[in-house]
Amino acid sequence: MSDPIVRMEGVHFHYNPDSDFPIHALQGIDLDVQAGDYLVIVGHNGSGKSTLAKNINLLLQPTAGDVWVKGLNTRRRENLLAIRSSVGMVFQVPDNQIVATIVEEDVAFGPENIGVPRDELRLRVDWALEVVDMLEHRHRPPHRLSAGQKQRVAIAGAIAIKPDILILDEATSLLDPKGREEVLRAVRALNEEGMTVIAITHFMHEATEGNRVVVMEEGKIVLEASPRAVFDHVEELRALQLDVPQPKELAYRLNGRDPTFPTDVVMVEELVDEVERRVKGGRRQ
Amino acid sequence: MSYVANAILLLVTLGLVLLSGVSLKYIFFGLKPALPLIIVLAILQLLFYGDAFTPHGMASRTYFRWGWIHITNGSVQLVIVSAARFVELLFLTSLLTNTTTLTDITHGIEDMLKPFSRFGVPANELALVGTISLRFVPLLGEQLETIMKAQASRGANVAHKSKLEFVSRARQVAAFIVPLFVDAFRRGEDLILAMQARCYVGGRGRSSFVRLRFQRMDYLAYGVGLVFSVLMLGLQSYFPF
Repeated sequence: MSDPIVRMEGVHFHYNPDSDFPIHALQGIDLDVQAGDYLVIVGHNGSGKSTLAKNINLLLQPTAGDVWVKGLNTRRRENLLAIRSSVGMVFQVPDNQIVATIVEEDVAFGPENIGVPRDELRLRVDWALEVVDMLEHRHRPPHRLSAGQKQRVAIAGAIAIKPDILILDEATSLLDPKGREEVLRAVRALNEEGMTVIAITHFMHEATEGNRVVVMEEGKIVLEASPRAVFDHVEELRALQLDVPQPKELAYRLNGRDPTFPTDVVMVEELVDEVERRVKGGRRQ
Repeated sequence: MSYVANAILLLVTLGLVLLSGVSLKYIFFGLKPALPLIIVLAILQLLFYGDAFTPHGMASRTYFRWGWIHITNGSVQLVIVSAARFVELLFLTSLLTNTTTLTDITHGIEDMLKPFSRFGVPANELALVGTISLRFVPLLGEQLETIMKAQASRGANVAHKSKLEFVSRARQVAAFIVPLFVDAFRRGEDLILAMQARCYVGGRGRSSFVRLRFQRMDYLAYGVGLVFSVLMLGLQSYFPF
């Protein structure tokens, strides 16, 4: 396998390390992310997942251990801009990350910061807005947009710096289902184009979006698997009080009644198909 | 300081309003909030400025004298002229805000300050501060509404307070303002992180997406404005009254 695009080795992070009550937010994280991965990090509030994300693009520096992004160690300050321009980040509250008063000017903010020449700025802004399907709203003020639209503008702003990695830090948690679907669709499209995506969420069902899932609890990685495999740990997830997606839960229960019923379904469609197949098959017999 | 000069200025501002195509009604509407101030100012000037000012080239005449109140031809002229100036100023500012978006004004200010950035004027940063403030105005407005609703739902008497209950009104405002500030700081912190994540390291080395280009109309406006100001200054002594 090629070199991972993000590599974390023995990463510890303390908030307020010198105070009487330091918070040990990351407790020895080892994690490799391959280029093109869609990694979903799931965990409760306070499990350290946001801290982990901030350690990737140098918003925070590990108190112990090392993080490499595209082979650059985040410990070296001279790598700062190179790392930040390789990692786009979208945060939880759409309103608190939009800087400008016009959509397209906000999208231009990132590339302006790294000194992209004006002609290319125009191209990048149009491209980024096109990807998130917001081109028609480019002249509108952000406060007139829906939350889902704002969050798509935020994604456009993050990808306009042409990063290799896109981190979504609970980017869908404040959106309604429609807005969430819009955002996830845009992210999926980006991932298919080759963008590495790291999505942080406490919605267990969003784990099915990715090709890898990491479950965090109290600053540690407690589970790492493919989205299909991760839900086979139904008991463990319940112990962590994380939801199992409803189709999986139902399949699991049906399997309890009829052991031939497969438990490896994750999507609603798969479950419906399976049930339909069985019902129709039963009728034929 | 003369009637003629102010009449000319008033005509010119009205001419500009007509040129801009903004309805006169809007412009007059902009006067309304300033009206009490203009009236109070006029009364004070009329009552207390009596002997302090004599019109250029004229003998001082006293129209009315009662105790320490002197009303002279000087104070009357002062009242009329300063009211006229006020009106001209307000017309021009509301003309600006009626024809130009705040975003455009911010970009304009940035461009105007740019030549001074070599003397250490942080033009880019100032413009960014302006933009972010404008960006936050609707957000804080929404937040204030939320806070007021939250307070009302817990029994705060929001709507029915007479204007004369100063103390209880002030206390109530504090109950809104403090959480609003806390919220604004939290948003600010979030925004800093978001800006850092988008590679913001200060104004230096930034390119800019918006380009304001001087067009013939802009040169014309600057030129006419300059000529007009010089004329008014130069002809000052020709307008004794």
